[in-house]
Order: sequence, then structure tokens, then C-alpha cells
Amino acid sequence: MTTVGGRDEVQRSDASQLRVVGRPLPRTDAAEKIAGSTRYAADLALPAMLHTRLVRSTLPSARLVRRDTARARSLAGVVAVLLGEDVPHNEVWVDVPGQQTEVRALKARSQVLATGRVRYHGQPIALVVAESEDVLAEAEALVDVEYEELPGVFDPEEALGEEAPRVHEDGNLLAEWHIDSGDAATALERAPIVIEGQYRTQFVDHAYLEPEAGVAWLDDDGVITIRASTQVVEHFRDIAAILGVPQARIRVIAPYVGGGFGGKEDMTVEPYLALAVLRTGRPVRMVWTRQESLLARPKRHPMRLRYRTGAENDGTLVAQDIEILADTGAEAYLGALVLLYSSVTAAGPYRCPNVRVRARAVYTNHPPCSAMRGFGAMQVVFGCEAQIDELARRLQLTPDEIRRRNAIREGDRLPVGQQIVTPIWLGETIDQVLRAAGPRPEPSRPHCRVGRGIASNLQPYGRLVWLQDTAAAWIGFQFDGSVTLRCGVPDIGGGQAASLGQIAAEVLGVDPARVTVHFGDSARTPLAGTSTATRQLYMSGNAAHLAATRLRDQTLDAVAEAAGRARGALRLGPGGVEGGGEPIALPRALELVRGLGVPLEVLATFHGPRGRAVARDLAAERVFPDFTVGTHLADVEVDCDTGQIRVVRYLACHDVGRAINPQSVSGQICGGAAMGIGSALTEEIVLESGINLTAGFFQYRIPTALDLPDIEAIALESGAGMGPFGARGIGEPPIGPPAATIANAVRDAIGVRLTELPMTPERVLAAIRAQAHTDPPRPAPTGP
Amino acid sequence: MTDATSRITVNGRELECRAAAHLSLLRWLRDHVGALEVKYGCGEGVCGACAVLIDGQAVNSCLVLAAQIDGRAVTTSAGLGSPSGGLGRLQQAFLDRGAAQCGFCTGGMLVTAAEFAGAGEALDRRSIRDALHGNLCRCTGYQAIVDAVDDVLRDQGSSSPPAGGWT
Amino acid sequence: MYVRPFGYTRPASPLEACEHLRRDDGAKVLAGGQSLLPLVNLGLSTPSLLVDIQSLGDLHGLHLEGEQLVIGASTTHRMLERDAQVRRVAPLLAASVREVGNLRVRNRGTIGGSVAHADPAAELPMCLIVLEARYLVDNGARVRSVPAADFATGFLTTRLAPDELLTRIEVPAAGPDWGWGFQEVARRAGDFALVAAAAIARCEGTLVADLRIGLAGVAPRPVRCPTLEAAARGRSPEALPELAPLVDPDIAPSDDSFTPAHYRAHLARVLAIRAAQDAARRSLDVRAA
Repeated sequence: MTTVGGRDEVQRSDASQLRVVGRPLPRTDAAEKIAGSTRYAADLALPAMLHTRLVRSTLPSARLVRRDTARARSLAGVVAVLLGEDVPHNEVWVDVPGQQTEVRALKARSQVLATGRVRYHGQPIALVVAESEDVLAEAEALVDVEYEELPGVFDPEEALGEEAPRVHEDGNLLAEWHIDSGDAATALERAPIVIEGQYRTQFVDHAYLEPEAGVAWLDDDGVITIRASTQVVEHFRDIAAILGVPQARIRVIAPYVGGGFGGKEDMTVEPYLALAVLRTGRPVRMVWTRQESLLARPKRHPMRLRYRTGAENDGTLVAQDIEILADTGAEAYLGALVLLYSSVTAAGPYRCPNVRVRARAVYTNHPPCSAMRGFGAMQVVFGCEAQIDELARRLQLTPDEIRRRNAIREGDRLPVGQQIVTPIWLGETIDQVLRAAGPRPEPSRPHCRVGRGIASNLQPYGRLVWLQDTAAAWIGFQFDGSVTLRCGVPDIGGGQAASLGQIAAEVLGVDPARVTVHFGDSARTPLAGTSTATRQLYMSGNAAHLAATRLRDQTLDAVAEAAGRARGALRLGPGGVEGGGEPIALPRALELVRGLGVPLEVLATFHGPRGRAVARDLAAERVFPDFTVGTHLADVEVDCDTGQIRVVRYLACHDVGRAINPQSVSGQICGGAAMGIGSALTEEIVLESGINLTAGFFQYRIPTALDLPDIEAIALESGAGMGPFGARGIGEPPIGPPAATIANAVRDAIGVRLTELPMTPERVLAAIRAQAHTDPPRPAPTGP
Repeated sequence: MTDATSRITVNGRELECRAAAHLSLLRWLRDHVGALEVKYGCGEGVCGACAVLIDGQAVNSCLVLAAQIDGRAVTTSAGLGSPSGGLGRLQQAFLDRGAAQCGFCTGGMLVTAAEFAGAGEALDRRSIRDALHGNLCRCTGYQAIVDAVDDVLRDQGSSSPPAGGWT
Repeated sequence: MYVRPFGYTRPASPLEACEHLRRDDGAKVLAGGQSLLPLVNLGLSTPSLLVDIQSLGDLHGLHLEGEQLVIGASTTHRMLERDAQVRRVAPLLAASVREVGNLRVRNRGTIGGSVAHADPAAELPMCLIVLEARYLVDNGARVRSVPAADFATGFLTTRLAPDELLTRIEVPAAGPDWGWGFQEVARRAGDFALVAAAAIARCEGTLVADLRIGLAGVAPRPVRCPTLEAAARGRSPEALPELAPLVDPDIAPSDDSFTPAHYRAHLARVLAIRAAQDAARRSLDVRAA
């Protein structure tokens, strides 16, 4: 990865002073993962442990006529079979933000185990608990479920029809968001250039390598403890509600997670494990198969996007009219919020005075859709960046010129009303990828054509401001000068825990190897919020930074007093307390501190910016704390006889503010780009009348090493982010641009725009054949 | 027979395997040997998280029965360490390059790389990608993994592997 | 992952293996396991007994017998891939086997398993019909020989009786002046082919004298393209593309939930010609050398 330094005027801290932050240190968790000694959620075994498995619906829409567990229960080795009636609080009601029915705020209902009817293929109906894994397959088959098939609805547009079968009693519209900034209709009428297009994205799965898993047990003092692969330990509250026990009696531990990407943001195994422990009093393990993970765990929303974009003859954007229709599947989950992200970011990282957005999330009898890396801000890039590209062609501008001309800057407002309050280096990310790209490749064979495309995006980091987000961290010196950091952050593979250790080591002047991070425990680490929304480095990083800074200050205050040194001269460094005389080794200095009765520990809470809840008609001074922008560039080769697309070259540049650990940042950028390329080319959950046909890794195709080119990550360090040391979040942002980048490159290669994901070879071929006319030539994007 | 007895060497330790006939090598290694570095990822032979070496050849341990490999030697990723107990060369390269993020695919990646690196062939990056394409990773985009293997192969040059192999 | 328990046996002879198969309706032959065990793990196959034929020594390895390559059914893909004799006398086989699955699948998977599983998109059965191989089939009492082209009867079905074992594969060596071509389009590296094409050709002068083409993924079983093969004789490799529509009479692709039949048909035309041209050019190269 290349790291490109920031401009002096926006540097918040002088990078040259940093010892630990900014260095590509191997993560503290990496050595154990490589040696094979890390214990993931499925790796724990306890004495007398039971095993569990869900019985899932085989139909997408049906009435449950009969559920008979007698045969299953009589099978040797089966301990219990639970139905919805056995769940203390089987109905779960969640608020749907910003949405009103005629009489009240909208709430959505779901069931832990389905009782009356099932609404999607794979919905849990019963929970089998057995002495051995070997019994589970047969026990599952012995649970008799009789279905009466009901009409289902499998298309979001049809679902909005008057006569459409209702997925839920309140109707099929889960959520709707409006943005009206300026007057888009009039501006489009007057605009000399108007581009129109419709785009479709698909169901996508997170496909982390670790399937959902956990072990739970009844601990001392009646605490049900669930050690599970999750991004959110705070689900202990939801689990308590389902079980009808005090929240204090549920503890969730997140060990190192084998990938999350949003798929472990909603609960997966947790409530079922807790129910089995409550029922049996014994330790219980649950491991989902890959097939059930693909079958029924929430997916990325497929979206239908309709864009109209108006511009002046010089390329200045004047209006965007955007309609978004999302299939949210059969359960609410986070669908309303996903669409909110789509709405706020749909106009792209550009200044545009007149924007109208209409976004709807609609229930169908498909698997539920919820959080996935990018969280709704990803899909809209495919539409928006296609429009910008087509606009450039129409105006004979290069793709980089049109983006630079309209790029959003500090002080500008997004259509929703939020002002950009930090320097946003969009133009610089464009410069970087073009500079690094070099000459365009030549076709490798006569029937192939090559093309180059770029696309930019903006992605929020940090949670919606009205969620009043906080993160806490506890930090303490041990007597020997080693450091203990406690923070409730789940580490989902992005180096979340290690980064906190690095921040603490920087502030406290110690070797990072002297810092031990305890993380992801709802009972024994201060709650730090979810490892979602690109928020952990920002929120928990700031909390750790705050705690470490306070600990440093109170330590140095005490040493100054005890040793009679000038406070202003003292600092923490490799020698311990340095300045004002001979360095005092840390253990000795801490003895002095203790001698004064000053504590060696600090608990600090970081508060994100606060805000007011939004209504359906979105207009807010602030929706998110801040944004990360970036630009990707791809060179592709298209085989015009077979339709195959090969990505020959790929570059991804984001303004990361500050790369706390450049190795982790590079990993996030390369991994996000690869996942985005998968969405662009091969990945799709295929459903036929609600039946999931892609419940396996044979059919659900994430890219292999051979399907990808080298990915060049460029981290631009503006130093201008709101995280510690000026960092911005980088977990989600790289997922945004790839599909649009590749579509733009393919457009460049073959003169046809693909508007539907994934861009399969048959779609490419069909587009080539449907090409009625040749487009006027346009200049290629070249470096400045 | 429904139960089979066989002798299997795991990371240099010879073990008696008295397991139900239907037990996969994966489950036997995890549940009976405690080799938890071997991961279940799909059960289809696609993802490679369960990869181990049998007599030096990478296999899907989810698609081999423990009963099938009587008398053979299994190496898991935990068996790729240096003789002194530290990380082996491939493992060290993975660490240096940041090739493990969530770490779930790492063990399988390492053993697959160990097989072809052990063959001592000089491979370009595309060939490395070809050799690794049966191991899925969702975090890294493979970039750091290919870099790590590339580093090791370059160090090695075209000479044959050192005595004691690649680990 | 959650499998129903089953039994396992290692017979000492083909006869014993066949007896197990005769006795137990639920018994299945286990070779490399790379096709069967995924089905078992997914609960799509629930055998009562697996009859492991890997220990039958005769079924391992390959050798030249006169003008033909004799391959034991339990020979792994990896052995084929790395064997110098295969590269020399059946380079088509050596090239195509590299496209099978991934390293781990090739380390365990066997040629006999691939042939007996009869996946219509599999590479090796298609190549074997192009090479006009013969399969020896044993029921413990009687051995019969089946031409490769007649072996598969449809999707995952073959002429193998329930109590029969495929024991060896005989591949006639093509002459030194034959060239080969192999083409495949898969959605992702290592996936089953959407369509694959294999060809061998012999040129005389600058013209094609003999051409054989096989296709996988375009019918319930691998097919040859006799219409195209006949029309290609006497043409130059450059003139082959206009013959592409002649694959149509010999293929029968069907729509499935992932891939439309017309796309498979299109790929068949493109890849058949590419494979044929590669084969013809390699033959010309040999003659020029």
C-alpha cells in the first residue's frame, strides 16, 4: 500500500512525533491466528455440552398447520425440542425509525420461532437439543411440520400492489424516506443536459469464512453466558427480553470473530443458545452450516434505482431525481435504516442544489435483508456513478474532470441538509488513482477489448447522530508498567482490538507488546457499542485515546508532585517518565503515584455528536458524524465472444484521515475492493419463487485469488478525520465504488452500459448484441 | 463395520483413531485430537478452511473420512512452526505481511501454500494465485496473502527447499 | 456437516466390493470422495455403507501398454497432472485435468470417480470421449469394456450396474502429429465449467485432415460434434469459425435457474471453434518443427 501524507494546514497532530501510530506493526492478534491457537466461537467445548440445530421452513410462505415434535423427542439422544410456544417471549417488536402508521409509530413484529405462519424459506420453526451432533440430522428430519402453502409475493413492485399478498398485517411497505432539497423537477426541466437510467442490484451474502456459532452456559449467580460470533455484545438486552430475565443476568462474550461484514450485526445463534441453556441448564453449542448461513441469514438489499441527472453544459450538476425501491425480505431487521443510508448518500459525493429522493423498503417473502458492509450507501453508487460517467460522455469531458468539477468540499451541504465539517479530499483521491494507474493496457487477444473506469463514493462513519452513540474504555497501569485496556468492542477481524492497543501505547509511551486488550464482553468490559457502521476506530479509538490521555496526565501530575519535578517537562516514553532529570523507570514512577493514593486507572466515555431523530421527510443539520470518500480505478478486458470480464488492474484510494495501522488499513481497502468486485461480477443469491437456490459455496461465488488482480491500495492521510489522530473510518467505504468502477470500465471497453448486477458474461454478451448504435468517441481519462 | 480403528500421525504424534466410521477427518481432528486450528467453513470442499496435509498433499479434511487414512501422516497449520517452536517461514511471512485478518481461512491457506512452496518451483504471482484459488478469503482480497507467499518463494529463489522442508 | 451415521468398509478385492454393493441397496462406492462426500455432508446422499475402493492396489497408477495409456480408476487427478507420460501421449488430458476443481480436490479426486459420477460439465469424461477411450467395468465375476462415448446415459447416470465397479481407463495414444485444444468458461476459477470444449486435430499440409471435438455442459452428458468434425476436414484452421453453427445439431442445452440455454449454446459454438483451432495450430507446429 502507498500512504500519501497530508497537507500541513489540515494536520491535527504532527505525524513525525508518533512512535507507534502510523507504523505497519503486525497486529497483536495475528501471530496467534497464524500459529492456530486463537479460539473462535465454535472452538469451545465444555463438560456435558449439548448440541443444537434449527428446523427451518422449507417454504417461503405458508401456514403452519401442524408442528409435531413427538417423534423427534423420542429419538435416543434428543434432550428437548422447542417450539415458539416454549419461548418465554416469542414475539419481538422493534421500532421502525421515522415511520408512522395512521395512529402510531410503526413497529415491526418478528418471532424467535415461527408459530402461525412462515414468511421466508429457511425461517426457524423448532430448536432441537441433543446429546450429540450425530443425532441432529435425524432429529431434525423427525420434527413433523405440515404446511399449507400460502400465496407469496416475490417482487417489491408487485408487493406494493393493492391485491398483493400481505407479508405482515400492517402492509408491505416497511419504510419510506423523502428528501426534497431545492426543486429538482423544475431544475430538470430547465437543465440543458439530462441523463436518465435505471439500475438493479442483487441479493448478496456476507460469506465470511466463519459460519455463525456459539457456546452458552449457565454461569455462577445464574448468569446465562453466551460466547458467540457476533458484532454486537449489546444484544444481551434483546436476549433478556426474549427469555424474560433481567438484562443483568445475560452476558455476551465476543471472541475473535471470523468475519462479520454486517452479517453478525443482527442476532444469529444467540437467542437459541440462551433458550437451550434456560431449558436444560447445561452448556450448549450451536454451529450453523454454511448452507443455512446462506439460506436464511439476512442479506444485502437488492435495489432498483431510477436516476435522472441534470447538468449545465459545462458539467455542473443542477439536479438529481432519484427513486429507490428495495426488497427488504420478510422481516424488518435494519431495513429502514439501510434505506436511510441509501437516501442520504444517493446523490453521491457531489454538490447539487436540487435533489429529490424517494426511497422505499418493501416486504416480500424473500429472506430478510439487513446490514451489510456499505449499509445501503453501497448500492446507490452503482446508479449515481453510472450517471456521472454518462454525463461526462455526453459532454465530452473526462470522467475525472466531471467529478472534480462537482466534488463536495468542506462547508458544502449534502441534500439532506448536513454540512460537511471536515476537509474532504475527493479530488485528491481521483488524482492519486490516475497518477498511479499508468498507461492503459493493450488487449491480450484479438477478440478482446480493454477499458478503464473510475468511480467515487462517500460513506458515513459513525452511527446516526440521534442514536446518541457512546463508547467507553477502561485503561490501567499494572505495577510493572504493563497496561491493561478494557473495551467492549467486538474484534471482527479488522484489527479492532489491536488498534486500540496501538493508540494506548502511543499515548502512554509504552511498547505495544506491553498492552493487553480485553475486548468484547458485555459484563466485564465497558460497553463500547457495536462493531458496525465503521464506528469502532472512531468511537472506541477516541474512548481509548481519551482514557489513555487522562491516565497519562494524572500519572504525570502525580510524578511531578512526588518527585518534585516541573510538570511541564514530563512526558511518558520508552524510558518511563522522561524529562526534568534522569528518566524514572515506569514501575518506580507508578510506585510514586500509588504513594500519593492516585489511582492507576481511568474509565472514559467518548460521546459522538448528538442529534434529533428524523422523520420520514428527511431534513437535518446532521445525520452522521462524518464521511469517508474515495475513488477506485479499474482496467478491464472484455472477451467480446464469450462476454467474460477480466479485471486487469485495480486501484483504490481513500482519504483515511490517518492510518493508525497502515497494514490494517491496506487490508480493509483490499478486502473491501475484492468484496465489491465479487458483487460486481459473480455473487448473487438466486431465488425462484422465494426458494433460495444458492445455499452453498458451490453456487454462491465469492471471488478466488485467481479471479482478482493485484489490488493497489492508496491511503491518503488528510489528518482531518474525527477519529483519534485525525483518523477516519475505513471499514465500509471501499465496498462502494467497485461495481460502478467496473461498469464504467466495461462501458469504456465495449461502448455499452451494464445496468444490472452481477455483470455476468451472458449479460455482457446480451448488451453487446443489443447495442443499436456506436457511441461517439470520448476522451479517455488520463492523469493530470 | 461402523467403528474403525486406525493409526494416524498428526503433526508428528502418532495417534490411535477409534472413531465412528462416518466421522470426517475434520471432525476427528477437532473433536478428538483438539486440532482446533482446522476450521469448518462449508463442508463442500470449496472454501479450504479445513485444509490439512496428508503425506504432504493438501486435502479437504471435510471430504476425507478419518477411517480412510490409516497409517498416514496429517499436518495441520499448527504443525508448520519452526523446529524451535516459533513461527515457520511461511507463517512468519504471513505475519510480516498482515495476511491474517479475521484469521479463519489462515490455517488452510498456510497448508495449501506449504504444499506448493515445498515443491520448490519458482512461481510468478499469477501462478501463486492459481495455486491458492481453492482457498477462499473474505477479508484480505488475497493481496497480503499472495505477497507473503511471493516473499517466501523469492527468498527461496529457484533452489530446492531447505532440509526439514518449508516450515 | 450434520451427517447421518453410516458404515465403512475396505474390501480386499473387487469381488468383495461388488458383493457389498449387491447386498446393501444403500451401499455406495467411495473413491476419492470429492463428489460423494459433499453430497453426504449436505444430506443429499444418505448412504448406509461406504465401500472404499482406494485400497484396491490394482486401481492405482498408470502405465503405457503398447499404443495406449492404461489408467487405474483410483488414479488421482494430481497424478495425471504431474505425470510426464500423460503429458507426452495424452497432452489434452494433462491440460484439462489442471482445470478440475482445486489443488485439494485434485489431490484426492480420482479419474474413475469423475467418470462414474458423470457430471455433464466435468472436464475429464469429455476429454475421454474425444480421445476415444474405453472403460473396463468389473462386477467381480465378469469384466466388460465400454466405449467412453457410450458410458454416460444422462445427467449423473451411466451404464454401470449397481454392483459394478469401474476399474480402468484405456486411452489410445494419439499420434505425434496430432495437436490438442482445450477451452473452458466457468463463472469462477475452479468452478464446474459452464461449457468446456476439447479437441484433437491432425493437419496435412496446411489443412485439417482429422478433427475430433467434444463439449461438456451443453447436454445431459458430454457430446462429440460429428457434424462439425466432418465439415472441418480439408479446411484451413482460419476457415473454421464459419462452421461454428454446425455444433448445434449435436448439443441440447437446457435452461436452468442460473444459466440460459442460449448462452450455453453460444459458448459451445465459440469454444468448439477455439479448441479446434488451437488443436489444428498445434498440429501444424508439430509438423513445422
